[in-house]
Amino acid sequence: MALNRYQIIRQIRRKPLSVLGSVAALLIIYFLFFTSHGSDSKLSKNRPTYNYNKVNKGWFGSSADDMFLKSMPKKHINRYDLNKLTTSADALKNREEILILTPLSKFLPEYWENLNKLTYDHNLIELGFIIPRSEYGDAALPKLEAAIKKTQASTNKFKKITILRQDSESLKSQTEKERHALAVQKERRSMMALARNSLLFTVLSPSTSWVLWLDSDIVETAPTLLQDMIAHNKPLLSANVFQRFYNEETKENDIRPYDYNNWIESDDGLKLASTLKDDEIIVEGYAEMATYRPLMAKFYDPNAASNVEMALDGVGGGALLVKADVHRDGAMFPSFPFYHLIETEGFAKMAKRLGYEVFGLPNYLVYHYNE
Amino acid sequence: MAFAMVEHKSKILYTAFVLFILGLVKVVFQLTGGENLYAPDFSNLKEVEFYDLENSRGSADGWRRDERILFCVPLRDASAHLPMFFGHMKNLTYPHNLIDLAFLVSDSSDDTLGELVKHLTQIQNDPDPKMHFGTIEIFEKDFGQAIGQGFSDRHGFAAQGPRRKLMARARNWLWTVAIKPYHSYVYWRDADVETSPQTILEDLMHHDKDIIVPNVWRPLPDWLGNQQPYDLNSWQESDGGLQLADTLDEDACIVEGYVEYQTWRPHLAYLRDPYGDPEVEMELDGIGGVSILTKAKVFRTGAHFPAFSFEKHAETEAFGKLAKRMGYSVVGLPHYVIWHIYEPSSDDLKHMEWMALEEVRQQEEAKIKKVYDRVWGKAFEDVHNNWNKEREDFLKNTDMANFKSIKVDWSGVDDWNLENGNDKQLADFNP
Ligand SMILES: Nc1nc2c(ncn2[C@@H]2O[C@H](COP(=O)(O)OP(=O)(O)OP(=O)(O)O)[C@@H](O)[C@H]2O)c(=O)[nH]1
Ligand SMILES: Nc1nc2c(ncn2[C@@H]2O[C@H](COP(=O)(O)OP(=O)(O)OP(=O)(O)O)[C@@H](O)[C@H]2O)c(=O)[nH]1
Ligand SMILES: [Mg+2]
Ligand SMILES: [Mg+2]
Repeated sequence: MALNRYQIIRQIRRKPLSVLGSVAALLIIYFLFFTSHGSDSKLSKNRPTYNYNKVNKGWFGSSADDMFLKSMPKKHINRYDLNKLTTSADALKNREEILILTPLSKFLPEYWENLNKLTYDHNLIELGFIIPRSEYGDAALPKLEAAIKKTQASTNKFKKITILRQDSESLKSQTEKERHALAVQKERRSMMALARNSLLFTVLSPSTSWVLWLDSDIVETAPTLLQDMIAHNKPLLSANVFQRFYNEETKENDIRPYDYNNWIESDDGLKLASTLKDDEIIVEGYAEMATYRPLMAKFYDPNAASNVEMALDGVGGGALLVKADVHRDGAMFPSFPFYHLIETEGFAKMAKRLGYEVFGLPNYLVYHYNE
Repeated sequence: MAFAMVEHKSKILYTAFVLFILGLVKVVFQLTGGENLYAPDFSNLKEVEFYDLENSRGSADGWRRDERILFCVPLRDASAHLPMFFGHMKNLTYPHNLIDLAFLVSDSSDDTLGELVKHLTQIQNDPDPKMHFGTIEIFEKDFGQAIGQGFSDRHGFAAQGPRRKLMARARNWLWTVAIKPYHSYVYWRDADVETSPQTILEDLMHHDKDIIVPNVWRPLPDWLGNQQPYDLNSWQESDGGLQLADTLDEDACIVEGYVEYQTWRPHLAYLRDPYGDPEVEMELDGIGGVSILTKAKVFRTGAHFPAFSFEKHAETEAFGKLAKRMGYSVVGLPHYVIWHIYEPSSDDLKHMEWMALEEVRQQEEAKIKKVYDRVWGKAFEDVHNNWNKEREDFLKNTDMANFKSIKVDWSGVDDWNLENGNDKQLADFNP
């Protein structure tokens, strides 16, 4: 032990520089990794004095969007007269802008192709995506990036596209069975609500007239989807989400209802709600919660006109057209039980509280991907 | 020589080794500690943008981290307040280039918009570039006000519900179009604030709360007692409040500070101690809108100003309740005060009119008295001195000193005056 210490001292005497080197290395490590994380604002108890020196972000600290912020116009005063904004049945003639919003945890090429085929003027369409902070998001994002680069290089390019990386947590597992377990529904849909709101409010612009919510697993719609739905001129309008499948019994290609979130409130539903605690929710399509609510999915009539409307109380987010004013008035996707409803269903309820009517198109089908 | 070379080589090797280890540590740190997420590159497409919302979560010392604030101001018939408002804006110590301004001008009968543009142009062309703010957006939207903008029009009890819901819509129309993915904070400020610290943004931000409000008072003329708590919308929920809410129908809207609704809630405004520590925090449920700092994620994730009755409240008070439901912290600073302007109510106006008339009347009276006095002096001879002399002669004959004195028992008289040490005084107001 004593010998050891003696050796160290002798080493220091013989080669002072080598010691200095290690100390310097330690200091460098300290400054590189720790200074940018500790906040060292010295705030005295009563009269705070503030330090205005910038916090050093370290080697890799600068973020991708710093560059954009630096190029922001200075001195500029922008004026927007929102009184002139219209939402009308003849949107195309009035050059009304549409924002298509998609929370995207997986990228399906069919979804993108379908989007490209929409016949509404793409110069009037903005797109917005929010990607989960997970490996699913990391798998989807490069595919979306490639698809966007291809489309925006073509004559069919969209007016503007914004992609957000979600800050909030999302559930790790995304297999169909796990997604649908009742126990995880509240948590999952609450997180989806946060994602939808974050996307909506940061991307909604003063020139947006219409918002179309389109899930990333909607792989087939009429190319005239936007014109068809806008023609109804409703504050909220939901298409009927079906799914194509191979029917083993008839040995034929067939379709079946998919989305049960479009419904009309029932006495049983209200009765059930009145027995629930404040923080409990009702979700449609679970045997544990029999509400006997009339579901739009069950009202599909292949022989009736596709423009038949029905009044609804709850909606899903598969293909949902909303007047942007409804969102500007504050209607959002509740991440907490709002009248025991959450996410898209809670959104319909909130829109109703704000005085808007909610409708669905039972015979107007869009198709969900079949896993 | 050869030996020296070897020695030199080993030094180079040593340095290289240290650098290598450094690099390795950094890479390992990136893989484990920090996230390593994919980021797309759209630098060639100006119409495509990518943002990681994680970069705009908002920290306690945002001014050191280039964190942007969206500064929201609703305006209606406010041109008279704008010079004062921009006086405050110029003095803000938060780096101006990090503040994006957003205004909503509604239903104005004065030239609010013109005045606003004039002030903004002036400030953005200031020779000192430190004065310039970030992006500036002005939105116009009329909602068709049913209620006048006079003080008593706005503050009558019946007007409160519809007025609050309308104001909520106005606020929502402002932030929903103005907020961008790169905003870390949102700050709300009314135009009619008279006095506010220059460091208000830092003062509120360093508390690191999701939503935080200062106390709002207003100065008063002397005859009304110097000063008064103004904003009664910042309060903590009480059992009385919850019970009251239960008895009201779905669309009712409780507003604080009206005798019609007794909630017994603790109000931020009344808890002020002029000598209290300005850092003291108080948890709140409802808040007022005069000056609110929130992390941008609060709005981003969907909290808004309900334009319908939410838990029997609307607008800013319901915003507090809604944000609480979403799990956000809502805090007020009882001893940190900003001052709303004094606007006379119609009763005050009546009183002021009476005071003005009274002054005229008193002047008139003084004038008349002077004339009277002159006339009096001329018309009558002054016999005052004569009388003083004669009085002594009269009183001589009624002197009682020779008679036996009367004894009175005064004991016990003072017992009634024991409690009189209560000298209340108003705090001295000096904004
Ligand atoms: N940003 C984000 N998007 C998600 C997340 N989970 C799902 N999504 C997307 O949200 C939309 C709806 O998700 P789904 O998983 O289809 O939810 P659902 O429609 O209730 O479930 P299904 O009935 O299985 O379709 C789709 O566009 C998904 O890509 C998530 O955690 N974060
Ligand atoms: N855009 C818009 N702004 C408004 C409207 N009504 C009021 N404002 C503005 O909102 C802010 C607050 O409004 P005030 O009328 O002062 O409200 P107040 O009387 O202070 O309200 P309390 O303090 O809550 O009693 C001010 O900056 C007003 O100019 C409106 O209808 N539309
Ligand atoms: Mg789906
Ligand atoms: Mg005011």
